[in-house]
Amino acid sequence: MKLGVYSLKNTCYQGEVKSITCRTSAGEITVLDHHRPLLSVLAPGVIKITDTDRREHYVPVASGFLEVMQTNESRCIIDQI
Amino acid sequence: MQSLQTIKQRLRSVKNIGQITKAMELVAATKMRKSQEVALLSRPYAYVALEFLANLSRVSVGYMPPLMEKRPIEKTAVVVVASDKGLTGSFNSAVFRAFEKYVAVQPLRMDASTTTYIAVGQKAVSYLMRRGETIEQSFVKFGDYTNIEEVRPLADYLISGYLEKTWDRVLIFYTNFRSAMQQDVVVRELFPVTFEKLKETAEEIIPQTGKYAAEGHGALFQTNTGATEKEYIIEPSPEAVLRELVPHLIIMQVYHIILEANASEHAARRMAMKNASDNASDIVDDLTLEYNKSRQAGITKELTEITAGAEALS
Repeated sequence: MKLGVYSLKNTCYQGEVKSITCRTSAGEITVLDHHRPLLSVLAPGVIKITDTDRREHYVPVASGFLEVMQTNESRCIIDQI
Repeated sequence: MQSLQTIKQRLRSVKNIGQITKAMELVAATKMRKSQEVALLSRPYAYVALEFLANLSRVSVGYMPPLMEKRPIEKTAVVVVASDKGLTGSFNSAVFRAFEKYVAVQPLRMDASTTTYIAVGQKAVSYLMRRGETIEQSFVKFGDYTNIEEVRPLADYLISGYLEKTWDRVLIFYTNFRSAMQQDVVVRELFPVTFEKLKETAEEIIPQTGKYAAEGHGALFQTNTGATEKEYIIEPSPEAVLRELVPHLIIMQVYHIILEANASEHAARRMAMKNASDNASDIVDDLTLEYNKSRQAGITKELTEITAGAEALS
C-alpha cells in the first residue's frame, strides 16, 4: 500500500510499503494491505515501516495521527521528537 | 546647470542610499530563502492535515466536536495578517486592499457590534487604528522563522473565541507565497469548518509550478469527493480522536498561514529593495553624467575666458 509520513519539518517517508506497525492510544497495531478505513491517534513511540523489499524503516514520533483510506493508501501526520 | 558642489553632494547621498538598500536586499533574500524553505516543507503536512479535517467534517460519527459545530453566522472575527516592519513594497497595502474590497461586497453586516478585529503584525495594528476600528487583540513580533509554539497563543485565542461564541466565523486575510516574484492575498475562512472551504484552501496551498507542484498530491482530494465511502473505524473512540485532532489541525492551519505570510513578506521586501537599489544606481549614472558635463562646462568657460583675456592684451 502507499504510505506517506509527514512532519512539519519534512516528509519522513513516502512510498510503497508492506506493513506499518505503530503504537496508538488503544494499543499497538499493524496495518497491512487493504485495511479497513481507520483513523487513530498515535502514542509516543516508533513507527516501524516495512517496505516492499522487506527493508525496515523507523520513524520516532512524539504524537500524531494515522489515517488509512479505502483506496489502499495511508497517511500519518506526526510531531517529531 | 547645477553647481558642481550640489551635484557632488546629491551623488554622495544617492550612493549611500543605494548601499543601504542593497544591503537590505541581500538580508531579505537570505531570510526569504530560509523562510520559504520552512513554509514549503510544511506544505505536505498542512495539505494532509487539511484533508483529514475535510474528511472528518463529512463523516457522520454521531459525535460532533464543539469546534465543528455548525451554527448561524452572526458575529465575525477578522484577522489581518501584515508585517511588523515597513519597506516591503506593496506587501501590506495589498492585504489591506483585499480587505477593503471584501468588506465592500460583503453581504453580511460588518459593523462594530458584529465584527471583532484581530491584528497580526505592527502594520496591521496601525492600519486598523487608522481605519477607526477597535482592535480586540493584537499579535506582533512573530519571529522570522516561526515555530509552532509562537503561534499557539493566536490559535488558542481564535479557538476559545469560537467556543465561547464570541464569534461564529473567523476570516483571515493573509498573503500566500506563490514564488519569489508572486504572492497572492487570500481570504481564508478558518471557522466554521466546512468541506468546501477546506478543499478550496488545500487547492490554494499547492504551488502550480516548481519543485513542490501538484503531482504528489493532485489526486488525493478528488478520490474523496464521493460521498458514500465514509465508514471509518475510529480508535479509541470518535470523541477521543476528534477532541485531539480538531484543535491540532486548527493550530496547524494558523501556523501555516503565518509561515506563508512570513515568506511572502521577505520576498516582497527583497523585490522592493531590489527596485530601490536599481533606481539608485540609475540615478547615480545620471548624476555622474551631469557632474562630468558641468565640470567640462566649467573648464571650457575658463578656457574661453583665458583666451579672451590674452586676445584683449595683445
